[in-house]
Amino acid sequence: MFIVDYIKDVYNGVTSLLKGMRLTGYYFVHPKEIITQEYPEVKQVLPERFKGEVVMRHNENNEHRCTGCTACELACPNATIKIVTKFDITPDGKKKKALDVFVYHLELCTMCNLCIVACPTDAIKMAQTFEHSVYDRTELTKVLNKPGSKLMDGVE
Amino acid sequence: MFSLESLAHNIDLGLNNIFPPTVALLSEMVIIGVGVIALFAVLGLVLVFMERKVSAYMQIRKGPNRVGYQGFAQTAADTLKLVLKEGLTPDGADKFLFNLAPFIVMIVAMLLMAPIAFTKGFQIWDINIGVLYISAISSLSVIGILMAGWASNNKYSLIGAMRSGAQIVSYELSAGLAILAMVVLTGSLQISEIVASQQNGWWIFKGHIPAVISFIIFIIAVTAETNRAPFDMAEAESELTAGFHTEYSGMRFAFFFLAEYVNIFIVCAIGATLYFGGWMPFHVGTWEAFNHVMDFIPGVVWFFGKTFGLIFLIMWFRWTFPRLRIDQLLNLEWTYLLPISMFNLLLMTIIAINGWYF
Amino acid sequence: MTASSFIFYVLAAFILGSGLLAVTSRKLFRAAIYLLFSLIGIAGLYFWMNYEFIAAVQIVVYVGGIVVLIIFSIFLTHHVGAEMEQPNRLRMGFAALAAFLSFVFCALVISKNEFAIPDQAPVPLTVDRIGMQMLSLTEHGYILPFEVVSMLLLAAMIGCIVIAMKLPEKTS
Repeated sequence: MFIVDYIKDVYNGVTSLLKGMRLTGYYFVHPKEIITQEYPEVKQVLPERFKGEVVMRHNENNEHRCTGCTACELACPNATIKIVTKFDITPDGKKKKALDVFVYHLELCTMCNLCIVACPTDAIKMAQTFEHSVYDRTELTKVLNKPGSKLMDGVE
Repeated sequence: MFSLESLAHNIDLGLNNIFPPTVALLSEMVIIGVGVIALFAVLGLVLVFMERKVSAYMQIRKGPNRVGYQGFAQTAADTLKLVLKEGLTPDGADKFLFNLAPFIVMIVAMLLMAPIAFTKGFQIWDINIGVLYISAISSLSVIGILMAGWASNNKYSLIGAMRSGAQIVSYELSAGLAILAMVVLTGSLQISEIVASQQNGWWIFKGHIPAVISFIIFIIAVTAETNRAPFDMAEAESELTAGFHTEYSGMRFAFFFLAEYVNIFIVCAIGATLYFGGWMPFHVGTWEAFNHVMDFIPGVVWFFGKTFGLIFLIMWFRWTFPRLRIDQLLNLEWTYLLPISMFNLLLMTIIAINGWYF
Repeated sequence: MTASSFIFYVLAAFILGSGLLAVTSRKLFRAAIYLLFSLIGIAGLYFWMNYEFIAAVQIVVYVGGIVVLIIFSIFLTHHVGAEMEQPNRLRMGFAALAAFLSFVFCALVISKNEFAIPDQAPVPLTVDRIGMQMLSLTEHGYILPFEVVSMLLLAAMIGCIVIAMKLPEKTS
């Protein structure tokens, strides 16, 4: 019947609206539910899989594990990494290829992790930093091996 | 005890002692004008901040919390920004009407402030048709919106203005009928008499079923009349960028924004006056002791408490419900609210004639 | 000149000025807005005479209703900034004649009327009084015109419904 349907319509409409208001009202009186994080003061603990930028591992004697094999450069899909090599003279007089400069273009990097996988000596890894903003984009071109660092002994 | 009535009375006496009556009247007008403008500014700041905080908490956010303690100075900072911004006038606009529209909206909001009773004897103009005056003047605010929408020479503005016009003209009916139901009960249009008739209990309790229905219709209709979500068809950010005030910037935009919030305050004040007794404290029939304790809370606190309660309710609607489509909006009015409020008016008349209220 | 008569002249000047602008403006929307100001001025005049109820009804009916409808029809039919063309001479002449004749008529009626100051005190114009007068059957009651007007409105409403109603298509 028309009038019964009409009243049923009104009733259903009002109850569904009240249901919605109950939820927002619940949130309003329960500030604990707030999911906002006040960013600079409180920093979130990032999950392990988060990748921010490529860094080179150095030990306390300022030694790294990069042999300059360019496996990472070849693996990179965006030409993010550019490795410049030099020739060291070993104590027994032989010439040996070694890393000179490890150039890393952060602005090109997609954090795909392929370089890390490709590295045979485990020299580079992904860091969890994410505040990369700078005033000049040339600052995003980084040299990963620290000045004066040399190859760790026993890494071939 | 400190009371605003004696304050107003003393100012009146003092001015009349010093100056001749005409000058005293003029200076009282100036004082009231300045007072209303100051109230507008404070209301704008408080209500915008309240809206942002309420919306934030309802959406599990924190809202503004950087400028000042807990973000209290946020709206002041925003206002400062708006004052400093350039007020642009579009090239193809009707410049005169474009610049006039925000002032029309503001003047209408100011006129609506006149019959509101803040506390006993503290009222700008206790006009004997108070409630009718409110409905009459509030029908003017649509003119400002239509003017702004037309003069901007922008398709979004025009569509927003037309929607707003259709909406306000139709929802005025059920708001008027809801108010009329309460007028039937009180037998007067004068605000002070409506408040006085609630001496022994608020109408929403005394008038039981029809009063509650009337209140629900009233709150829905005024939400639509002030163009707020879920009835914000006139602005509808996702469809019309900003509706009728798309082309406005700087202080003129701020006027529209301020007028929206002041209008909310006014309609909530009217709702509080009609249904919740205005400045009248919470009285229960013949419990003398209880009524006496309630009388210790000053009327102005009761008034603002009730008004802000209703404002909170309207904000609650806004941040819960999705926006209606224009046909749903008109359907709601013409097939649900209007018949129900007409039926309710009839019911209320029967109850008022037979004295079936408390 | 007292403050009261000063307010009267200000209001009258406002009404006449905006009325003149409404007639002479070439932009249709502006003309509607000037008409609106003129009507608001008339409401102000009623307020000045302490006829608050009439003033409020003036605003509700003319400003909130009729002018909004006029503006709506302008919205649906006109472009922003489009100007009306100048009416031809003949039509202007007839309009001036009509205006002049109605002015003469009004002036004659007003000059014939003696504005006697009533000796009894003014009665407060409350709403229940207006309602009683409207529906009273006594000598100065308005029950007959009231009912005639309500019949007219009912007829208009039924007409609206008939125009707007979609008849169900006949299945044959």
